Amino acid sequence: MSRSALILTRLALLAMVLAAWEWLPRWAIVNAALLPPLSDVLAMFVTILGRSQVQEAVAVTAGEVVLAFMFAVPIGACVGVLVAESEYFGQIFRPMLFYVFSIPKSIFLPMFILVFGIGFAQKVAYAAFSTVFIVIMSAAAAVGSVKADHVLVARSYGATRAQVLTRVYVPSMLPFLLETLRISMIFNLTGVMIAEMYASRSGIGQLIASWGENFQMPQLFAGVMLLAAAAIAFNETVRWLEARCSTWRT
Amino acid sequence: MRPAPATVRRLIFVLMLVLWELVPRAGLLPELFLPSLSRTLGVLMHNWAEYAHALTVTLYEVVLAMLIACGAGILIGAVIGGLSRVRQLLLPVFSSLYAVPIVILYPIFTAWLGVGSQSKIAFAGVYGFFPVMLSTAAGIQSIDQNFLVAARSMGASLPQQITRVVIPASMPTVLAGLRLGGALALIGVIVSEMLTAAAGIGYLVSKYRTVLDSPRVFAAILVILVLSVLFDALARWVERRALAWQTAGRREPGLPVEETYTGTTVPA
Repeated sequence: MSRSALILTRLALLAMVLAAWEWLPRWAIVNAALLPPLSDVLAMFVTILGRSQVQEAVAVTAGEVVLAFMFAVPIGACVGVLVAESEYFGQIFRPMLFYVFSIPKSIFLPMFILVFGIGFAQKVAYAAFSTVFIVIMSAAAAVGSVKADHVLVARSYGATRAQVLTRVYVPSMLPFLLETLRISMIFNLTGVMIAEMYASRSGIGQLIASWGENFQMPQLFAGVMLLAAAAIAFNETVRWLEARCSTWRT
Repeated sequence: MRPAPATVRRLIFVLMLVLWELVPRAGLLPELFLPSLSRTLGVLMHNWAEYAHALTVTLYEVVLAMLIACGAGILIGAVIGGLSRVRQLLLPVFSSLYAVPIVILYPIFTAWLGVGSQSKIAFAGVYGFFPVMLSTAAGIQSIDQNFLVAARSMGASLPQQITRVVIPASMPTVLAGLRLGGALALIGVIVSEMLTAAAGIGYLVSKYRTVLDSPRVFAAILVILVLSVLFDALARWVERRALAWQTAGRREPGLPVEETYTGTTVPA
């Protein structure tokens, strides 16, 4: 299939899904109290965007997300480089890191609440904690992607350490680093959302949880839509950058 | 001569247990923040019936969620991976959707299905579905086409091609996906039990946290940690057994199954 045909088919599928969302509740095939029609949700989306309560929540959540990201990424990247560059450290910690992925990080939320109290710092700390492991793993994978041959050639031509770093490591790692940022942001956002939904007084996650508890379905769907749109927009932007940074490879 | 990595790992593990016991005892951290290991184990023994009951609820939800995640994941993954039209059409859509933190959908599940087990099973099933689906699609897609050509030229029928070539060749990726999907189903159940529930081991964490009963919170955390260790070990064992034929004839036996890090992990 050609590119335009693909895009057209995807748009047609999207239109079908949206039409079903609009008309199934309208024709009472599904209960409109459980799935409000799309137009109601969109109207609510515009309404909640205008509410100061929602704007404040978005600001709080954005602050938590950005701050947690700024803690998790540098720490995780340093540890990741260490694990990848030192074979010995790698052999010790790699299996442990893989194991950490099967643990639900949310079980440590009570500890964060006890130490920091319920608030901004606790959300940031928990989100950074839940993100740091994936940063370590993908940073290690990024370093591993640098070809030993390239480093060898650069060294044998007399490149200094700094030159090897800027001319070999950085260009080969760039697409992987962006991938690291992209995946870490997904984890980070999830961490903030879980922390806000679990125990919180502010933030978009707390609003979503309380709309759900109070059966305010149009608000709930509008909130989910808002967050999903933000997440997809960030993800697609980084993916676009990734594609641009790796064009020289092929 | 540096000690073997496995020895260092064991030492770190023992050291963590010792610190868990000694740090609260020495008064470096208040019991409220971290009750000592012996105290936690004591509480766990003493309230065994309560924890065992919660564990059965959780396990029931986890097993059903895994069935949903793995069943739907393998089926849809096979369709998407096997049919190039569908793959071109839908795979980019799924990887875009993957950016959305699935946990925000949980309030919708509780509103639709109530606070009982159904909402946890459905949520955790969706949570584990994506990695299974994506890795099945990748596994089917990555089959060496020469295998299929060889099978066809020797007159294999379509069912034979599927059972003798496609399934064995895609096995490693699919099994890695199942391990990931299973772990995520477990994580999904625990997360959802912590958020809104009336039973289960995650619920115990939340319930005792609100009354600041730290030893009971840590007893539940300990049970969850052991549960996820056991699941991981079991899944790796199955993987090794099922893939033993791949390395059977080779000189170096016991090559570890390549850790598949494909970016299809899902946050928790």
